[in-house]
Amino acid sequence: MKQIKYIWHASENVHGRLVLIAFVVMIYTVLNLLSPLIFSFYIDNVLGNEPIKNVFFQMICHAAGGTEVLKKNLWTGFVMILFVYSFVCFFQYLRGRLNSVVSENTAKNMREELYNHLSNTHYSYHVLNKSGDLIQRCTSDVDQVRRFLASQYSEMIYSVCTALIASVLLFSINASLAKLAVITMPILIVFAYWFFTNAQKIFRLSDESEGALTDKLTESISGIRVIKAFHREVYEIERYDEKNVDYLNKTFELLKQLGLYWSFSDLICYIQILIIVLTGTIMAHRGELSVGNLFVFISYESMILWPIRNLGRILADLGKVSVSIDRLLEILEVPMESKEGLMPEIKGQIEFKDVSFHYDNQPYVLNHVSFKIKAGQTAAILGPTGSGKSSLIHCISRLYDPSEGEILIDDIPTTKIEKRHLRKNVGLVLQEPFLFSKTIHDNISIARKDASFQEIVEAAKIASVHEVIEDFEKGYDTFIGEKGVTLSGGQKQRVAIARTIINPTPILIFDDSLSAVDTETDAAIRTALKQVSSKCTTIIITQRIHSAKDADLILVLEKGQITQCGTHEQLIKEDGLYQRVAQIQSELEVE
Amino acid sequence: MNPYEEKDYQSTSFDMKTWKKVILMIIPYRGLIAALLILNVIIAGFDTLFPFLNKMAIDTFATGTFVESEFIRFGILYFVGIVIQAFNVYGFFWIAGRIEMKFSYKLRKECFHKLNELSFSYFDKTPQGWIIARMTSDVARLSEIVSWSMMDLFWGVSVMIFTTVMMLSVNWKLAMLVLMIVPFLAVISVYFQTRILKSYREVRKANSKITSGFSEGIMGAKTTKTLVLEDDNLEEFKKHTHDMRQSSIHAATLSAIFMPIVVGLGSISTASILWAGGNQVLLGMIEFGTLLMFTQYATQFFEPLRQIARLIAEFQLAQASAERVISLLESEVELDDTPEVKQKYGTVFAPKSENYERIQGNVTFEHVDFWYNEAEPVLNDFNLTVKAGQTIALVGETGSGKSTIINLICRFYEPKRGRILIDGVDYRQRSTGWLHSQLGYVLQAPHLFSGTIKENIRFGKLDATDEEIMNAAKIVHAHEFITSFDEGYDTEVGESGSRLSTGQKQLISFARAVLANPAFYVLDEATASIDTETEKILQNAIEHTMSDKTSFVVAHRLSTIVSADRILVIKKGKIIEDGTHKQLMDLKGYYYRLYTNQFKEDLEKELLKGDIVHAV
Repeated sequence: MKQIKYIWHASENVHGRLVLIAFVVMIYTVLNLLSPLIFSFYIDNVLGNEPIKNVFFQMICHAAGGTEVLKKNLWTGFVMILFVYSFVCFFQYLRGRLNSVVSENTAKNMREELYNHLSNTHYSYHVLNKSGDLIQRCTSDVDQVRRFLASQYSEMIYSVCTALIASVLLFSINASLAKLAVITMPILIVFAYWFFTNAQKIFRLSDESEGALTDKLTESISGIRVIKAFHREVYEIERYDEKNVDYLNKTFELLKQLGLYWSFSDLICYIQILIIVLTGTIMAHRGELSVGNLFVFISYESMILWPIRNLGRILADLGKVSVSIDRLLEILEVPMESKEGLMPEIKGQIEFKDVSFHYDNQPYVLNHVSFKIKAGQTAAILGPTGSGKSSLIHCISRLYDPSEGEILIDDIPTTKIEKRHLRKNVGLVLQEPFLFSKTIHDNISIARKDASFQEIVEAAKIASVHEVIEDFEKGYDTFIGEKGVTLSGGQKQRVAIARTIINPTPILIFDDSLSAVDTETDAAIRTALKQVSSKCTTIIITQRIHSAKDADLILVLEKGQITQCGTHEQLIKEDGLYQRVAQIQSELEVE
Repeated sequence: MNPYEEKDYQSTSFDMKTWKKVILMIIPYRGLIAALLILNVIIAGFDTLFPFLNKMAIDTFATGTFVESEFIRFGILYFVGIVIQAFNVYGFFWIAGRIEMKFSYKLRKECFHKLNELSFSYFDKTPQGWIIARMTSDVARLSEIVSWSMMDLFWGVSVMIFTTVMMLSVNWKLAMLVLMIVPFLAVISVYFQTRILKSYREVRKANSKITSGFSEGIMGAKTTKTLVLEDDNLEEFKKHTHDMRQSSIHAATLSAIFMPIVVGLGSISTASILWAGGNQVLLGMIEFGTLLMFTQYATQFFEPLRQIARLIAEFQLAQASAERVISLLESEVELDDTPEVKQKYGTVFAPKSENYERIQGNVTFEHVDFWYNEAEPVLNDFNLTVKAGQTIALVGETGSGKSTIINLICRFYEPKRGRILIDGVDYRQRSTGWLHSQLGYVLQAPHLFSGTIKENIRFGKLDATDEEIMNAAKIVHAHEFITSFDEGYDTEVGESGSRLSTGQKQLISFARAVLANPAFYVLDEATASIDTETEKILQNAIEHTMSDKTSFVVAHRLSTIVSADRILVIKKGKIIEDGTHKQLMDLKGYYYRLYTNQFKEDLEKELLKGDIVHAV
């Protein structure tokens, strides 16, 4: 039920047409069944001498001036058939067109809703879920639903309508023969349904085997150095062959099963036709059935059987559609980030008041952290891996909220500030930044689309990446990612800095984002930054004393607690981690 | 244009050369194909026969003289025909499936064989995705073409021929009414099918953009949030979904126009049959059954025609696939042994390992020149002599040429000029198998194969006993962590070792090399990506196992090579410093600066990790 509701929801802008399809298909079905009737009319009533039973044809005959007139003017039949078919063709076109308009619009809505939903879920959702699985759902599950609307939906209506209307017509012509004409229908539906429900297992086996074969191939290509260096070519060929043989056998098994299905259901269909041909012939011979009506029976029989056989398969496939929708709903039911909150102008004072933080059911990562950074100050946070530095940063930009305590920005608790507004005011450079597969130019200007080329170059220069970019053959137009160049970790970090600072923000945070850059470049970037962003509050997370030294405030974070706090001059005199690190530094320099 | 981009099929021309090669490939299945062709003729024959039988039923029995015994015989024959046809259909699936699967199996096998023969330069130049696409989708399309599509084509042609013959022999005037539509339909079908196929290509392109849009949106979620790009990204994504909708509707509309046209043209035939046939009935020239037969033939005639038009379009696609697969199969093996060497030492696939001489470990570079691309020489007149048993460390910046030296020693590449001697013999006079089977090679990024830990170590020596495997693991101190797993040596490592840490993977790949009992070792930045603790363990293992064997170590972290017999500092393809750690430190040159800098950084990191509390 909720599946139908979802389809209805996703097709909101094409509701009219979704309903229209049903009518179009019904009209199409009726029209499609007309031409054998016309034939039968001409055979029995015009060419033969049977009395006309059908009211509709009586009218035509009356209007034309009797069967004799029609007999002399057989072109009338030609015209009638072409007349009917012109409508058949038109409705067939309409059906195809509507199917695609409805299914593609719905798919578009589904994709956009999913995309929007996923980019607005809480950050923790992305941490907890595998990206491969999410992508799979957004692509193949959406496609499953799209396919349902593109063909199975109207195909179902067509099959049911054809079977019903044709049966009604056949029963009105000759009830006893009509009974024989429908006896194999249930068998066909059930057989097709049964087969395709069971065949899913064999389909899956074949798919899995193919997957394993491709995995093996991928593994061998990426490990080709090892294979060659160990002279294991023959061994690898044997192992690949095992998978290759397995795929061969599994898929051949599938094809044999399909062969069984098709040949057996063909057999049923043909036997059904044979029954009608033989019985009808006897009845026609005995005068119980006109030749024209025998013609109708034979024509309708082949028009019914194939859609009916298809219906069984569609019914079996509906299960898959329903599963797909369930999987999509799982995503859409995840709560989104709230867009409510204050949107104050931010000056840049940051205060942690007794902040503690832990992930779901896990030990505390931050333990009663308190400190205050005044607007415009530079603070450095120094600490070993796993001390909670990144969590602290995540809390400032509200990727997570503190479990206890509060963070105040300009004396306003962050939880009261609208998330997007806050993030727009907090420039955060991540340690492992994600670059989009666009040109370098577009990556730098991604958060400020109206930036001039001049500004982009300026930002790149501050981030010490301008020269690197210039070295590329296409400069700023170099494409990054799968189809373009791959940047080194340090280059990525610097592009990320450029794209962050191109948008001046009152708060700027570097989450260990110079870790892959050498010490000298690190210093150069910091100096350049100081000149352009002297007014903004800067937080530098680092493992290097060099980077921390010049800060107005240095915080030493160990195991989620702040153990030391002060300026370089103060901390160097204090017994603690900072002093120990600094001492090594100076010892080495003296030596 | 990038040579590896998917080429669109621009040419509609038929490339004889390509298809000739494809035909050569299917020759081994000529028996099956012949059987399938015959079966097809029979199936097409029956397909044509059934409407004729229906005509007989009406003309001979319903309106003619009804003879019961003849009618029963007719019924039985009809039934037998149906049963035979059912068997034919099954046979068709069986044989066509057999051809498809056997052909694709063999093609994949040959491609894989080829891949193992190709030299490193091929893999350095060719994107992995390109190779995989050739061996999956292209092979699949090609095998579908030589089985199902070819048979569909043959079936279509047979049905059309039989039906034409049948119609002409029964009533040539009515036959002409059906046949006159054929040329129109043929032209229209080819026109539409080609366009439909092209438009679906657009759909696929749009679809791949949607997929990468989702993938970026999901993988880049954190970046999107921190830069507040949600709305911008959605707008951009909407462009892709819009394109997708437009191209899909375009493609579907083409089909929606095409199908009614086929039906419409067919209906002209049907309608004319009623008109002309009706007149003939009135004249007593034909009976009702014939009329029925012709209407059935008229519909039956156009299905194969439509199929053939579709197949012509598909063959164009398959031609592109065939070209790409053939290009893989015909890739030149750049680095190959001479016939004389193969004669003595065998090929890669059939090595004569009994003729392999054991390597002592003396390595000499004699005036070696090397480049990957001629404009940028990497090594120029490079000379080096290494005595058996020495440990040689190579130090230098990225791009200095140290990896190239390693590639040359391992004969992954060969010198462009000059020669490399191993134990005094130019290594090109021996086979690659000879060298590689005595080489212990450990890479920077350890590569494991999916399977158990045991299987991965055994890769070094296929006939190793469990005990030997355990010994190798003990030597590199991997035994401890392996046994700490619940399933010990039988633990699955996951896809390319994903269930293990990098350090653990490196230890296993080290054990793999040790088990091979090689004559000399090459460690290509083997310790670059592991933590300090594992590094120390490895260091011990290295010193222990390599003490009496020639080994080349490329190291990023200098602490690992302090005890090397000789350290070579490489810069721009030249050895600028050469000596032991002590000698080079006393020199106070490049090595000295590099070493002290790293030492400082390392200490700082160590301290921050809290490992060393009072280092000073």
